[in-house]
Amino acid sequence: MFFKPLDLTTALRPALLPDETLLFVQDAVGLYEGKYKIPNYQNGHAYLTSHRVCYVALEDPRKYSVAIDLKEVDRAEYQAGFLKSSPKITLYPKPPKSSLSKSKSAGASPSRGQSPGLLAPRPQIQPVTPKAINATWVCPICSFSNPVPSNFDPSTATASTPIPPCLACGIKPPLATILKAVITATSSRNGPPTQSNPTLSGLGGLVPVNGSRSLSSSDSAQLSCPRCTFVNHPSLTECEICGASLAAAVGALKSTQIDSYRAESPAPVFSHNSIKSTEITDCMKLSFRAGGIQIFHERLKGALIQRKWLLYDAPPVPQQPSQSNAIASPGLTVTSPAEGSVPSPSRSPGVGIAGLEQRGLQARKNNELVIGNAFEDLEALMASAKQVMALAASMRETGMTNGDLSGEANAVLLESAETMGMVTTKDMLGSGAGSLYISELSRNLAEYLTDDRKGLLNKEGGIISLIDLWAIFNRSRNGVELVSPSDFQKAAELWETLRLPVRLRQFKSGLLVVQRWDWSDEETLRKIQTWMTELRQVPPTETVAWDWRMFGRAVTAQEAAQRFGWSVGVAAEELEMAEDKGVLCREEGIEGLRFWANFLSGTSIVGDLGLSGIVLDEVNRCT
Amino acid sequence: MTTAPPPFQFPPTYSFPPFFTPQPNSATRTSQLQKWSALIQSWCRHHRTYRLTLSEAIESPLFYNAALRKRLSMKDARDVLDWMAKGEEDGGGGGQRAEWLDGSTKTVARIWWKRPEEWAGIVADWVENTGQKNVVLTVYELVEGEGTLSQEWHGMDTDVMLKCLNVLVKRGKAQVFGGEGQEGVKFF
Repeated sequence: MFFKPLDLTTALRPALLPDETLLFVQDAVGLYEGKYKIPNYQNGHAYLTSHRVCYVALEDPRKYSVAIDLKEVDRAEYQAGFLKSSPKITLYPKPPKSSLSKSKSAGASPSRGQSPGLLAPRPQIQPVTPKAINATWVCPICSFSNPVPSNFDPSTATASTPIPPCLACGIKPPLATILKAVITATSSRNGPPTQSNPTLSGLGGLVPVNGSRSLSSSDSAQLSCPRCTFVNHPSLTECEICGASLAAAVGALKSTQIDSYRAESPAPVFSHNSIKSTEITDCMKLSFRAGGIQIFHERLKGALIQRKWLLYDAPPVPQQPSQSNAIASPGLTVTSPAEGSVPSPSRSPGVGIAGLEQRGLQARKNNELVIGNAFEDLEALMASAKQVMALAASMRETGMTNGDLSGEANAVLLESAETMGMVTTKDMLGSGAGSLYISELSRNLAEYLTDDRKGLLNKEGGIISLIDLWAIFNRSRNGVELVSPSDFQKAAELWETLRLPVRLRQFKSGLLVVQRWDWSDEETLRKIQTWMTELRQVPPTETVAWDWRMFGRAVTAQEAAQRFGWSVGVAAEELEMAEDKGVLCREEGIEGLRFWANFLSGTSIVGDLGLSGIVLDEVNRCT
Repeated sequence: MTTAPPPFQFPPTYSFPPFFTPQPNSATRTSQLQKWSALIQSWCRHHRTYRLTLSEAIESPLFYNAALRKRLSMKDARDVLDWMAKGEEDGGGGGQRAEWLDGSTKTVARIWWKRPEEWAGIVADWVENTGQKNVVLTVYELVEGEGTLSQEWHGMDTDVMLKCLNVLVKRGKAQVFGGEGQEGVKFF
């Protein structure tokens, strides 16, 4: 495990990799290497993403920010706070690769290694299945309770899977009986949340587990049988009365040993460590000084189970979804393999219109699958984000060719799909972290504004009214997790204190606008003045009563908006600002309000009959 | 009164459209008022006018630019004259170049394109130069007489001239005597 250098965005947040999503943010976090505090890394934001744990210091974030890849993290332990010690999460690195290879065999179900994609949509299933093996099935003939064989996997079992006969009467049970038994055992075990996680992911298939619920509360010296509740002597491995295995109960008692098993997690390793950074040999800790540890820990565990980084190398869109669908969700109707896996070669390449239509049909089916999967549930949606984005991109392309009417809408769709990964929602932050939400939103906005791909600020002439921005921003969120106007304004007001590259500014009239931090009135004034100079060089289209070489011509807010790409409201404000600074002056007439270069004040006009002229005149007359 | 062979030469700002719109920016407004003040003074001097009737002036080229089809409204014109009437100490920059002749109705104003003190100085200088010290002159002689034909104040209203002479009286350089309508003055 290494501390890797971290790229920051303009808003001083970690730059996310493609496909990476932000899961949680917590402020006031400190870093420890082993037992020791790391200097300069004691007060910052911890960002949990689907791929990494990032740390960005509050002071000097460009210098002090690191990331740890989750794929190198073996496990995360929670350590409660005690007196002055804050609660901490300890991250243990994976042992070196060599020791991993041997561990692969035991617990992993065969499907795991083959199709990494399935882990994401249904993460809970895999660790659960091996555990469920120790359910018992009741023989329909003699009603004897038989143990389910340890190598039985409900997700892969078919009619051809060998099933041992009943121990009492010797008759093979129907597959359905065993499946039912396994599933009920699984679901009942999944129930209590306190129990599930530590044992689930840890045990794999190594240790048979019975429902050890009752054990967690029982006295350590004696073991209550999970099946008949008889209290057995701790040295026994099987129940004295009913013969059920007590191994799981023993295992639960010796949890530290079991944890060491967990080190041999069967995860495939995609390792390319950078050597330039320091390695974490023992472990590293995150100290949570302002709460939020529970959610962080929870989501960290979730991320470690989901292993989103495996998706990075997943096959491209059309083939992938059906595959993962077929295997990942045994409960769903399984699509036929011909339809799914690799469509093009299996189809007979049709000729002419029929062929084209066939291909169109095929593409539609694929899209249907992707969309269907995506909306299966939210979990699945996040997992399918990649496909959905690709789909949106392709839709946009077709939209472009079909006609420009829908082009913009599709651009918005694509944009929103892209932003899905980068927005901070209230959901990602701990409860009561109102200010953190605002500051994260503030950073979010800054990123959104300065994103070069969209160039939002540039398109708007470097300045945009807050209300327009609010509308655009919420629109890009596609109707979910909308930002309230008050939150939005608060977030915008924070730019200054967070030293982000955008600023909120209030015009005299109260209009709030957003502009780059280096945007200044002087800059605007210079632009306006250049414009005025230009106007003095171009003869007006119609004859005018004034000397256009000297005065140029009048401009309206609309013209200014057009020239500088501002919105009209902003242009009017900027012109008035220039007037306020004495650069422009106004002319009110039946044509409306127009602005001129200011020839009233200042001494730029030679030969103007000012007071000095009179004095001069006087002198001439008197002499 | 408006006998002026050469037409009045308007300053360039006169053809600057914003000149006719009251400016909200105080600095711009001040210089706008200064320019108006200068324009009105030079206009009056050109036409040898000492009083301005607002209702007439509004229609005159002074306040109405026919080429631009722009005019100073009655209210704006009054504002300009108000500003001119204020002394420096009142916060205005007008330097008391105007004076309302009808109090609060503000329809007729005297334009002091030279302040009484300035007139007094000029008259005193003229008296000195022409060697008329200790000579008694009537005010009529001073204003309409042939001897002052070349002088700037020729044709000045009598009451204006009296004001100027009063300044000299205060300075102890002249003495005014005689009754209403036939004042005489003696310079020292």
